[in-house]
Amino acid sequence: MNVLIIEDEKALAQELDIFLTGYNYKCEVCYNGRSASEKIAVNLYDFILIDLGLPDYEGLNLLKETKKTNGEAACIVLTARAEVSDRITGLDLGADDYLAKPFSLPELYSRMQAITRRKFGLKHHMVELGGFAIDLTERTISWGSEVVSAITKKEFDLIAYLLLHKNRTLTRTQLSEHIWGSVVNNDYDSNYIDAHIKNIRKKLSGFAQPDWLETVRGLGYKIKING
Amino acid sequence: MKLETKLTLFNTLSKLVIVILFVALLPKIIQKINQNFTDNKLRKQRDKLFELIRTSGIKDYTYASYSPLKPEYYSLDEDSTLENLDTIRNEKRKIDGDTIQYRILSYNFKLNNHKYLLEIGKSVDTIGETTTPLQNIAFAILVGMVFLTIIADQLYTSYVLRPLHLIIRTKLIGRKFPNFGSYREVETSTSDFQYLDRSIHEMVETIEKTFQKEREFISNASHEIMTPISIMQSKIENLFESEDVNDDVKVRLLEMQRILNRLKSITKTLLLISQIENDQFLKEDTIGAAEMLNEVYEEISVRLLDKNISYEMDIPADWKFVQVNKFLLFNLFFNLVNNAIKYNKENGSIKVTGSNQNGEYTITVADTGIGIDPENIPVLFDRFKKFRASLEQDSFGLGLPIVRSIANFHGIKINVSSEKNIGTTFTLTFPAGLIEA
Repeated sequence: MNVLIIEDEKALAQELDIFLTGYNYKCEVCYNGRSASEKIAVNLYDFILIDLGLPDYEGLNLLKETKKTNGEAACIVLTARAEVSDRITGLDLGADDYLAKPFSLPELYSRMQAITRRKFGLKHHMVELGGFAIDLTERTISWGSEVVSAITKKEFDLIAYLLLHKNRTLTRTQLSEHIWGSVVNNDYDSNYIDAHIKNIRKKLSGFAQPDWLETVRGLGYKIKING
Repeated sequence: MKLETKLTLFNTLSKLVIVILFVALLPKIIQKINQNFTDNKLRKQRDKLFELIRTSGIKDYTYASYSPLKPEYYSLDEDSTLENLDTIRNEKRKIDGDTIQYRILSYNFKLNNHKYLLEIGKSVDTIGETTTPLQNIAFAILVGMVFLTIIADQLYTSYVLRPLHLIIRTKLIGRKFPNFGSYREVETSTSDFQYLDRSIHEMVETIEKTFQKEREFISNASHEIMTPISIMQSKIENLFESEDVNDDVKVRLLEMQRILNRLKSITKTLLLISQIENDQFLKEDTIGAAEMLNEVYEEISVRLLDKNISYEMDIPADWKFVQVNKFLLFNLFFNLVNNAIKYNKENGSIKVTGSNQNGEYTITVADTGIGIDPENIPVLFDRFKKFRASLEQDSFGLGLPIVRSIANFHGIKINVSSEKNIGTTFTLTFPAGLIEA
């Protein structure tokens, strides 16, 4: 998939490039609005990441141009301006999602995946994990014909997020940012992730040991899938 | 008491005092006037008589006469007394068996070597005859005039004070910092009110400018800080994933990530507080109270396990929050319940209770925790205020400031009662209309 990264902060643009390349995206980077405008007019992209706060260009105009020449492209707006009005205008102009800086890179990937699934209408996204069937559309986890109903919404969020970044370690900070991202929290420690993981293991072990859910000592957690 | 009420009260009272004084003095005054009038008349009659005596001689006038009903009395007699009388007195005279009180002018004079005594009298009853009707008329006129002046005063006072009322009503009552709306001059010819109006306007402008500056500063500062944080966060995350970094370094990267996350949380929270305080959120959501508190519980339930805290919720199922900001209200409850967990004891409990007393809706969040020192309660909601207990909890001292900002934004009153080692209760009192049942 082709991604155009429009970000005037070079250091950030480079990190986005490195990260997305690691997830097998083909990235092009623009540091200013003018060159981005040219690229949008000429090339076709699957994803366009737009920083709204470009010094030389009104970021929202880039969105409009994208709609004209790159109608199929999914736009994700990245901005340090967190005002509510921006959010509304951004989405009105056809942005598919919105990420306020600073955001976590795995979070960006999960948003891109969600858009892909939406766009291509993947009906049943099923994953098989150590005998468990995880339905990412219905958001259920089942053993044989039995649905593990004890798994809560938050717990499923964690499993799905780890599954999306399979075979990569996610830190507690990254995980808590994903599941408590909308809460303005007073504490900066994320030990509650441990409690969630403990609960998940307890609930699943009634059926089979979820060995695929690994604790990476001192670092975080990951879901291991071979192949 | 309102200025206008005070003025009206004073006007009425002062006039009442005048009326009472006047009523008390009126009989005396009228009596005095009547007497003076009678005395003058008696003297005039005497002068007229002398005029007659001079032209016609005295003989024809030496007699005494009383009119049939005896209201007047007149006598001219030879008199042997030597003293020179010239008085007007009240005296009694017995006439035809009746004793009548007269006002009598007595006058001694000599004529042709004869001494005469002239007496002209007027019955006191006749003099007093006019007193009562006069009093009544005077009283009626007075009451009427007092009444008229009270009305006039009242009308004028309310007219003169109208600009003041306008200033109070449109510029002070119900105005909330920082949103005062546009300035509209209050029309008045009273310079004091003009001055007051202008001064209020100038103060409001200064406050608004300060607010605006703070708003811009916090917003700009937050954005300027957010971008570098974003870069650092991305770099740490990429480093963390790269294969040539060993686990020891990764653990240290993790530390960095956590510290960066702390900086991020603080900045985000400050930005949020400034946005709330500058009214940048809408209040258009309607949501069931129990539904919202259940969501809070879902988010937070995992944190209860650590200390085995029990959670009890008693919110009437039909309660609805109306015209609120869902995101903000959620955060208010989240932070309150989160605190109730953090500062609780092992096997403690949390109770969230809704109650309605005489139409006043309250929701309390009560814990069985360590409690708050009484001297800390007044500064509990201050930014970055950390207490010993919160330091142990890795808190950065912005949870309750957010709670307060959100509560103020919705007009919710917060009350804290706490007892050391027994627990703390936060009581939220909702303004009318925010909760519908």
